[in-house]
Amino acid sequence: MKLKSCCAATLAIFATAAHAQSSVTLYGVIDTGMLYQSTSAATFQPHAPNLGHVYQLKDGGIYASFWGIKGSEDIGGGYKVNFKLQGVFNSTNGKFGLADTPGTTAIFNQFATIGVSGPFGTFDAGRQIIPMIYAMAETDVRGAQYFGSILTAWLGVNQAAGWPGTSTNAPIGALYDSNALVYNSPKFYGASVALEYAPGGVAGQFQGGTRESAVLKYSNYGLNLSAVYYNGHDTNPFPLTYPAAPAVPATGLANNRFYYFGAMYTISGFSISASYGIGKNPAKSNTADFEMASGGLGYQFNPRFKITSGYYYLKDRNNSANHSSEFAIGAEYNLSQRTKAYAQVGYVDNHGTMNQTIIYGAPVAPGESTTAAMIGIRHTF
Amino acid sequence: MKNNHVVKLAVAALFVAASMNAWSQSGQPASAAASVPGTSAMTASSAAAPATGRKADRALRRKVYAAIGKQKDISAGNISVTAKDGAITLNGSVTDASQVDKVAEIAKGVPGVTSVTNKLTVKKPFGGM
Repeated sequence: MKLKSCCAATLAIFATAAHAQSSVTLYGVIDTGMLYQSTSAATFQPHAPNLGHVYQLKDGGIYASFWGIKGSEDIGGGYKVNFKLQGVFNSTNGKFGLADTPGTTAIFNQFATIGVSGPFGTFDAGRQIIPMIYAMAETDVRGAQYFGSILTAWLGVNQAAGWPGTSTNAPIGALYDSNALVYNSPKFYGASVALEYAPGGVAGQFQGGTRESAVLKYSNYGLNLSAVYYNGHDTNPFPLTYPAAPAVPATGLANNRFYYFGAMYTISGFSISASYGIGKNPAKSNTADFEMASGGLGYQFNPRFKITSGYYYLKDRNNSANHSSEFAIGAEYNLSQRTKAYAQVGYVDNHGTMNQTIIYGAPVAPGESTTAAMIGIRHTF
Repeated sequence: MKNNHVVKLAVAALFVAASMNAWSQSGQPASAAASVPGTSAMTASSAAAPATGRKADRALRRKVYAAIGKQKDISAGNISVTAKDGAITLNGSVTDASQVDKVAEIAKGVPGVTSVTNKLTVKKPFGGM
């Protein structure tokens, strides 16, 4: 009898525990492939020498490998408390992904958030992938993937604007922001808005290191439309030669502005996309003022097989000798619900000091044309 | 007694379902209604021959999109809906496997839809899960 009541008590405790924590999920993706690239460079310096062709095992042919833990608790009345911890890792060597500061990594470099969702929308606080990246991914047939997409084009603008590629603190826009407060509205006839504010936490400088952005989206009738405004203060304070040269101190200077407009239309098996963006340093537009434009076309042959292609053009508005054109095409085949195989080819024609990469994490020689090809596999768990 | 209760609930559910059906029917454009003269609103959805013609196809496509668009967690901008004489074909992508069948169910529930060919795929949003 005593044993029975003991069991019952234990069960009751477990039951309440299960109730309070509605769900916790451990999840992730491993994405590894073989990459061939006809040129390479050690850094994103504008005159980095060409180190020749490279053949390597490469992480992230479609997106980075990552893992995470997420959960949500239903607190009643249609409200939920949500958390998410997620970080990329390099599947070829096991290392964690980049943090805000050069030379450091972070376990949860993609998400470390707690937030609330409900009828008002969702609110998340912490480091996270910010709304502008979703807005770009949703208006790119290539989906802002790691190999030849709106993501590599936008990163190309950042490289041209002096991003050393060793931290996630970018001079033009951002993929991740730390300290971010992000609100996403519910959809209203397909329209929604996302707002971000990230206090900088710089002592004595209220505007120091702050970020603010707004995204307007429409998604209905097969059409996605996005408009992005991003403004950052004291972004990318690390010079290309950091840590030999010190970081620029935060003073609240607005030095990072990005505008983007994109559209994607899906009809039958076809998807077509186009976009235009401007990124500049509003404090010193003579040092960084760039344009980017894209076009994409994809076709879904059947639920297992699709081909996507994209064209990405970058232009330096201060020096017309610096421009870059990239074309990428990829095929994805779903072997199962959780595993896909892919093959992709890209070509980039860089002029001047441009060094738009074909795939994230593999710098190309600036001012030269480069070809890359990759086959790989992506498994979700 | 308990059984009675279940039956009562089922009947109530049926009434709710029927009234919802009738409600969405009222949104049907005049053009589609005009092409099936003499049939009541309720039978038009199931028993009568589907409305035909390009105009009716376009109207049906719009109605299916409107129904999908009501779902807060589904982005109808990534979904292609094509209509041909009451037959709907779904293409494009959703962000979760559970939404593939959900969208097809929503399309099937739209008055005037006689069949649904589902070619939707799952595409996780940027950043994974």
